[in-house]
Amino acid sequence: MRLAATDSERSLQEEIRGFLAAERPDARSMPRSLENRMDALRAWQARCYDAGYVGRAWPREFGGGGGPAAEQIVIDQELAAAGAPEFANVVGLDVLGPSLLRFGTDEQRRRYIPAILAADEIWCQGFSEPDAGSDLASLRTRAEERDEHFVISGQKTWVSWGQFARWCGVLARTSDAGPRHRGISMLIVDMRSPGVELRPMTQITGHAEFCELFLDDVVVPKENVLGELGDGWKIAMHTLGHERGTAALPRQVKLRTWLDRVVRVAAERTIDGESLIDDPEAQVALARALIGIEVLRHHAYRTVGEFVRGGAVGADSSSVKLLMAEAEQRLAATALEILGATLQHGEPDAVDENEFWYETYLYSRAATVYGGTQQIQRNIIADRVLALPHE
Amino acid sequence: MDLELSDEQTWLSESVETLLARDPEHRRVWASLVEFGALSVGRDGGLGAVELCLIARALGKHLAPVPYLGSAALRFAVEPLGADFGEDAAALAVLEPGSGWAATSPRTAIEPAANGGVVTGRKAAVEHADSVERLAVVAAGARGPVLAIVESGAPGVALAPQPALDPTAPMYVVDLVEAPVQTDPLGGETIDRIMTIGALLAAAEAVGAAGRLIEDACGYAGERRQFGRTIGSFQALRHLLADMYVRHASSWSSVLYAAAALDEDADDAGRTAAIAKAYVSRAAREVAHGAMQVFGGIAVTAEHPAHRFLRRIVVREQQFGDAAHHERALGRALAASAIPEAVSR
Repeated sequence: MRLAATDSERSLQEEIRGFLAAERPDARSMPRSLENRMDALRAWQARCYDAGYVGRAWPREFGGGGGPAAEQIVIDQELAAAGAPEFANVVGLDVLGPSLLRFGTDEQRRRYIPAILAADEIWCQGFSEPDAGSDLASLRTRAEERDEHFVISGQKTWVSWGQFARWCGVLARTSDAGPRHRGISMLIVDMRSPGVELRPMTQITGHAEFCELFLDDVVVPKENVLGELGDGWKIAMHTLGHERGTAALPRQVKLRTWLDRVVRVAAERTIDGESLIDDPEAQVALARALIGIEVLRHHAYRTVGEFVRGGAVGADSSSVKLLMAEAEQRLAATALEILGATLQHGEPDAVDENEFWYETYLYSRAATVYGGTQQIQRNIIADRVLALPHE
Repeated sequence: MDLELSDEQTWLSESVETLLARDPEHRRVWASLVEFGALSVGRDGGLGAVELCLIARALGKHLAPVPYLGSAALRFAVEPLGADFGEDAAALAVLEPGSGWAATSPRTAIEPAANGGVVTGRKAAVEHADSVERLAVVAAGARGPVLAIVESGAPGVALAPQPALDPTAPMYVVDLVEAPVQTDPLGGETIDRIMTIGALLAAAEAVGAAGRLIEDACGYAGERRQFGRTIGSFQALRHLLADMYVRHASSWSSVLYAAAALDEDADDAGRTAAIAKAYVSRAAREVAHGAMQVFGGIAVTAEHPAHRFLRRIVVREQQFGDAAHHERALGRALAASAIPEAVSR
């Protein structure tokens, strides 16, 4: 049991703080237009990769740093604390990259991993479909085997950053035999292939970071199957568990920066001459938001341990995911309630700040949906942790 | 960063569990705990906050009626001073009629006397006061609150049982009239340490009791049949039990983290313990409510054990500051953290 950073973790922290002090990244000053923002995010990831802060724990032979898993967690927390923007290739780094490392061939890893790390090639994921959301195993996108390749047809949705992606990890049905989740495979689709069509979807925040993806007889070479045919479900579950298990620590740091920010803004603003922060009810609400974030941190520390020691992310990643969504939604709603009428005052110099809190609140509603809904996480716990009976 | 228990800690936890399971009637649990070394607090090979919390969790799971919390908390708090209480059991006398758990301005007061000092005042909710050798009394000294150690059988000490929610944690009103103080009164830092470790031990016990309720509720949900199905197959109950699991698992994470912070002398150990206590205070009771819902009507009968665990959970919730107490303090601290910056603008 050890909470304090080791000497090497501490020197890594200091090194990153030096890097961040020189770079001064600021998620708030990113360009507004999506195209320009993507360019800036790519450049930022590339600078961080050059500095050794991306794929720190990924194997050296594929361009990673070959370091212990704990180091990447230290790095991600430092970046979040500094308010740095997210990496452009978040899907490649958190979702498909780990799957390639775990299930891919050496050839696939050599081909794809270095470009994921350097943000040379952006990845997206083609998992959900309009009629296969929580019930992912009911997906209908098909990959038919024809000669030396597969031909894929179907429709995918919630494809983050699809419009910028070079590659997509697509879950498609390759067999109807046996249980339905056994007939699913994961294929690596070149987004430049004929038959690929994207339609951006505008989210409730006004941004369009998601796309619908239409696949119409898209030809995929056989060597682009990830793992074995029929491994798709297993890979997707591994991937989503990984995403849930490791995202929480940097996420809680980001939530903490937001909490500090709402405290600061509440101390600056008044309603009818009364400082917002002096309201005892507001103070208690902020304390509850703080407790939610801190307990997320404590729980993620305990459950991430196995992963850091080289093991897999277990079913407890579902409890982390539930706490993460709860903490984010509580914080966002608390900010909305505490800042209250001041969000409507329309002071010119407060427009950006107000927009941030509205956007944070709106997007927080997604937290109990993406990466497996709250209800799916509870099902996972009921099945895999509590072993409760089925029908 | 590593919250994994060491082999020794796992062994300790399992040993205490075995010790308690072997004695379901609790005939000689206290003696067994003392023999086992559950009071051997100390840095060099002794028990730290994490180990004490592991023991407290087991006691909560088995609803052991022993004066462990006070005895362990006192030893942990005075450990830096090197005070030794041998095998004596101790009870904490913090609360007073009309006071809260902040313990900042007690009416009970200590006065100098020929042989050291005497303490006078009334304390409430002194748990297990009838079965301990020592009372650790928070009293007003000349320069702020101090901790006075009084022999429970000393002249001027009168115990009166008071109604208690949990009969396995009996409570006493203690009247002190110029009761002689045994050692030099201990300073405010010791009181802070008692409140911090006390909050964690209370939370750990509640986690133990809540964990037992989840186990039993899951077992019951797997056997009980209604509408031709085991009730654990109904999604409404599966999700309720999953939520209970999350509350319980995260509660334990928080207690463990805060205990480790205390053992490592982290700067924010007191604040982290307050966060854990605030969280567990609500979460453990939520688990108990959920379990009673799973058990259904039978859990509202006196013969069913659910209410006994609920009672222990509520008692631990109210000691050393409940959720509202800590949330108010944490909120005030957050607000204060923003003020210097606001003023400088």
